[in-house]
Amino acid sequence: MKIQLTRTKTIEIGGKSKSTSRSKVDLTGVELFSGESRGAPAIRLLRRKEDWHILAAGFVPPPNGELPQRWEDTPHQPIWELPRNFQAPSAALAVNSEMSSFGQASAEAIVREMAQGLGDAKPKSHAAISPRLSLKTPQKKSEDAPPPVTPNRKPTIPPPGIPVSENGRRFVVKPFAEQGFHLAASLPEFQALWLGRLLPEGHRPTASSLQVAESALMASPLLQPAFTDAKGNLLVVFVRRDAIYFAGYRKGEPVLWRRCPGVKGYEAMRDAIGKALGVEDDLINDILEDALVDPRPALEPFLHPVLQQLDLARAYLAGKHAMETNAALLLGLPHGAGHWCHAAEDSIKMKLMPAHPFDGLSLAKGVEDSEAHHYLVALGAAIAAAEVET
Amino acid sequence: MKSASVHLNLLKDTERLSSSPVRLRVMMPVVALFACLGMALWWAILFTQILMIRAEAQTIDEDVKAKSNAHAEAISRQDQVREMRQQLEQLTYYRNSVRALGKPLAKLAEVMPLKVQLTELSFAPPPFDPPPKPGQKVSPFAPLTNVETQRFVIAGRTTRETPVVALMESLESTNFVTLITRDKRVKSFRQDANAEKGKRRLLTFEVEYTMPERRFAK
Repeated sequence: MKIQLTRTKTIEIGGKSKSTSRSKVDLTGVELFSGESRGAPAIRLLRRKEDWHILAAGFVPPPNGELPQRWEDTPHQPIWELPRNFQAPSAALAVNSEMSSFGQASAEAIVREMAQGLGDAKPKSHAAISPRLSLKTPQKKSEDAPPPVTPNRKPTIPPPGIPVSENGRRFVVKPFAEQGFHLAASLPEFQALWLGRLLPEGHRPTASSLQVAESALMASPLLQPAFTDAKGNLLVVFVRRDAIYFAGYRKGEPVLWRRCPGVKGYEAMRDAIGKALGVEDDLINDILEDALVDPRPALEPFLHPVLQQLDLARAYLAGKHAMETNAALLLGLPHGAGHWCHAAEDSIKMKLMPAHPFDGLSLAKGVEDSEAHHYLVALGAAIAAAEVET
Repeated sequence: MKSASVHLNLLKDTERLSSSPVRLRVMMPVVALFACLGMALWWAILFTQILMIRAEAQTIDEDVKAKSNAHAEAISRQDQVREMRQQLEQLTYYRNSVRALGKPLAKLAEVMPLKVQLTELSFAPPPFDPPPKPGQKVSPFAPLTNVETQRFVIAGRTTRETPVVALMESLESTNFVTLITRDKRVKSFRQDANAEKGKRRLLTFEVEYTMPERRFAK
């Protein structure tokens, strides 16, 4: 068990904890506030020795209440219980929050962000994401924000993997394989507290992990056969509803995390196709999957900046890490993966490998895999938490 | 794959809750409280037992002291009893050793021949006992030996030898067995040197008899 003595000093007592000797891990990954109307995507993941099983996948009723946007909202703490088939001993929660941050950054940038604290929190949509610094830039203070905190001392970079609270925000960092850079995630302290108390004690499951959605997303390809075959040296394209991300891994360790700037996710792609071809929303899937109508002219304006950024990411990996990446894994795209592959092959000579999120996992009876892209974040949260539980 | 490197857990260890219905956070203080109560109870029992044992030990100590005094007194009394028994025994010995000389002496007058005039009847004292050895315990009441032998001396005047012989024969009869034994010795038989001239010639005699043994015994 790790005990944080001071901001920078932690001690570990008891050697290996009980959980580290367990060969069986059973936990539920849930994506909260994903914007999905059917509920919160949830996955129950079981690891028995080296085999991974999905015992259940589905949408669970969301917690009764909105994610608090200010300290004053936190007293309204709902109690949340998951359906019976998702009642694993513990749960990994992945949260979509406008006030969260996630990205790769230098230690100085993290310290600067910690010094700014919650007083400079702003919606994520306005955040400037850069390969070097994906944390937010200063902006006009929100009226709902608590009184500005004036730090009376300079924060220091937190120890790896230990969450620390600083100026109203909670931070956790992990050093990159790349020297000098860190993967950093943060949430407002009141949101972290609210989420931590969501699942009550004494009922299954209770929260063992709290991640921001992008962090969970980054762990989602770790069990993919393609990832294993490439020995962890891979470039991955994550396509979400509202954003597209690029992640680079070297020997299984993350070396790149980048949000595709100026491009929204597959909903924007669908809108673009719908507008260009003048079709209803329910026909777009057929157009993307069938060869009757060629959607490439409609897709090209959308895909062009994406592929450009993908090429930049490839160049970054090649220049910074000497990784020759002629292929990339494509995850999260529900329809139209074939067109993405052709476009990538044609424009940047890169092979895109569409993958099913459940590849490499055995499914229990009754688990539907037709809409698996909805569970990518929940699955990533469970995988990340399961790996450290074993 | 190393997912630990991408697991950025914002949940603090102190915020992790147990899903077990038995809440360790609740049970631990309860168990600790019961443990403390158990310890306190155990100490209380132990303390009470110590107090009881101390009180009992004190009582036993006082009892031992009282009994040791009584025991010493009993021992002293026993010594006194034993001494008095010894004295009583010695007195019994003396009583048993008393010679009843009245009757034989009364009968002596009956057997006394007419021609004999007794001038002396005496009991010679027994020979002195040798002094006790140094360090030898001697009872102040008991004689050194259990047997005492005395001599009975008869002295008198007579005119002839015959009455003396008759007296001696009479004395040796069964009536005087408590007074004398047959062991005798004629110490003297001669003419009386103090007789006045012109008067009849007288003879003096002195016979010493060994008396029966005087036994200091039950």
